[in-house]
Amino acid sequence: MKRRFRLFLFIPFLLLLTSCNYQVPLEDTTITFILGIDLDDDDNLIFYESSPVFNKGAKAQTETYHTKADTIRDSRKYFDSVTSGEVSGAKIQVLLLGKRILEHEDWFPILDTMYRNSNFSINTRVVVVDGKVSDVIYYEPPSNAQLVMYLKSVIDKNYKRTRTEKVTLEELHTSFYEKGLTPSLSHVKKDKKLKVIGTALLNNRGKYVDTLDLRESTLLLFIKHKKKHPISYTSITIPTKNERGIFHKDDLSFTVQNVKTKIKTSYELNKFKYDIDISMSVVILESLLTIDMKSDEKKIRRIIEERLETEYKDLLKKIQDYKIDPIGLGLYARAYQYNHYKKVEDNWGEALSEADINVSVKLDIIGMGAINDTRR
Amino acid sequence: MINVEGKQISLMQFILLIHGVQMGVGILTLPREVAEKAGTDGWISIILGWIISTVCSLLIIQIMQKQPNGTILDLLSVYFGKWGGKIGAVIIALYFAFFTFVMFTREALFIQAWILPRTKFVFLIILLSIPTYLLARNNIQILGRYSVTVFFMTIWTIFLFLIPMKEGQFLNLLPVIKEGWLPIMRAVKTTIFSYLGFEIVFFLYPFLQKKQSASIGVVIANTLTMFAYLIVTIVAFTFFSPDEIAKYNEPTITILKVIEFQFIERLEVVLFSFYLFVMSTTVVPLMFMSVYSTSWIFGKEEHTKPLFWFLVISIVYVFWFPPSMNISTTLKKMVQELSIFFAYAFPVCLWIYVHIHGLFKGRVSK
Repeated sequence: MKRRFRLFLFIPFLLLLTSCNYQVPLEDTTITFILGIDLDDDDNLIFYESSPVFNKGAKAQTETYHTKADTIRDSRKYFDSVTSGEVSGAKIQVLLLGKRILEHEDWFPILDTMYRNSNFSINTRVVVVDGKVSDVIYYEPPSNAQLVMYLKSVIDKNYKRTRTEKVTLEELHTSFYEKGLTPSLSHVKKDKKLKVIGTALLNNRGKYVDTLDLRESTLLLFIKHKKKHPISYTSITIPTKNERGIFHKDDLSFTVQNVKTKIKTSYELNKFKYDIDISMSVVILESLLTIDMKSDEKKIRRIIEERLETEYKDLLKKIQDYKIDPIGLGLYARAYQYNHYKKVEDNWGEALSEADINVSVKLDIIGMGAINDTRR
Repeated sequence: MINVEGKQISLMQFILLIHGVQMGVGILTLPREVAEKAGTDGWISIILGWIISTVCSLLIIQIMQKQPNGTILDLLSVYFGKWGGKIGAVIIALYFAFFTFVMFTREALFIQAWILPRTKFVFLIILLSIPTYLLARNNIQILGRYSVTVFFMTIWTIFLFLIPMKEGQFLNLLPVIKEGWLPIMRAVKTTIFSYLGFEIVFFLYPFLQKKQSASIGVVIANTLTMFAYLIVTIVAFTFFSPDEIAKYNEPTITILKVIEFQFIERLEVVLFSFYLFVMSTTVVPLMFMSVYSTSWIFGKEEHTKPLFWFLVISIVYVFWFPPSMNISTTLKKMVQELSIFFAYAFPVCLWIYVHIHGLFKGRVSK
């Protein structure tokens, strides 16, 4: 028995040898950092992939390829044949989706392999590209930074300042299947430079409906991400109507230190009713108004509150007109009015479009800045 | 009746042996299985399952108190005669052998799916067999020490689940009791399986040092397991939308995939490798029970030989018929059907029998 046991001990060492077959040195791998999917003019799927070059003497920092293919796995065949190393999808950081794809319904199953294959990271950021994906993926940032790092930091920074949504593959999956929520994605565009233009809104089948610009995105994210507060740096500029001359735009900017959103849900007269209370504490950063800061605090507060309320009204009206729910008001309906929600959950956008939504903004000015006013 | 000299286990070892057997691969799929049946109210089913399993464990203690110096095998031979005991031992040995085999292959299948997709299945089984053999050939005290070590070594992993919780949507849990009690009751059928493993008390009891605290021990063990399940399930329910959770096969691992630190990605691979220890505390004691019963049938103390052959047969079997995840799930369901009888119905019947038997005996002696 003892001897047999000793023989047994050799097996692990023998087995260890088999793993040498699969060793992959970093230089020999092609690690995809950006994956892009787009449609060409004849509605064929085009796949792009961009990977860094680890070779020291190499001129280019990244290699980018594109091919026509049916699926992500199908495109791999081509990428394998043109790249020097073994293509690995485990480290994809950014997934670029062409807007043309989103103009069709039910494109989501293309991404199947990214969820099915346990190698893929589900923290990949999903970004919508206005125009062609090739414009973005072949873009070389002027600062000579790696495109992937550049994209990532642009999106993260704007997310931190609540100007655009940051969505990972995992969150996209959630918003796709959750009936009381429609997906929203960060939206970038390349003119002369690459820039974030706001938040793209999709309907419940994944079809693109509209893009919120940076201002509207901020308003949306205030209600959506209740937990993201305090917001360290968000300035909202409020232009008022009466412009006097070139310099007197009557603008006012402030940072929002803290936002608290309360959403009350009720059901009256066959429709859902929402009361959204948003309370913010703000610091005024810039004021070109002809108002005395010290004595007219109330007036300023009123101006800002009214301004924000009308903006929220416009935003919510837009959302209701499109029959979408990027805020996730459906979650509140499910939690508090389950029986009514259950009846309409498959057509939630429709039900929300008929709902009454009241927004009230309460402002608390906690700082006015170092000067009273700059008028003469 | 049996020689417990030098093999006695402390209360801590007793608790953590039971808890170790209960916490196995089941936790990986539990949130999905529960959500499929009861939606986000599944956590109530976990608590109800805990009540049932605790009651059954307490019944087992009650039964074992009648014959405190022997295992269930000795108890059966006292009540049903020598041959009754032998037949019982064969059934119990087969039950544990089947249970072990299913858990053992399932463990390897999860490793293959998540960590080593390119390694052949039979190699994984061979690699797992070696430490399993080294452990299970010892007596119960060593297994107890192992379970204690593993428990304290891996307890921190449960707290990692609290990291994704801050992204969680607690609205998903509301309203409590969405569709009434019926789906919750239906899900209890799933959750009671996740507490399986407390039936090893049948074997552990005679080895326990302080027998008077056995009841507290099983309650603590079941409660520990319940808390672990509850944390994981509630995190999964807040993290995933109720409409999507059923789409992920192993939601517990997917949650871990999301955790990312500056210096490490794909944390689930690291954690899952660590979880191998936890899975081994399921397989090893179960295997021990099976081979212990086998050697008991032949009246031997030493159980190394049956253990050796059990592992060899397992390896040969998976070499010829490597099981797929689907086959394994079917087998798991079979085990669960069997265990309804063994872990839940059998203790109740035996308890009634033992009590009636006691009443008659009392009258006769009067």
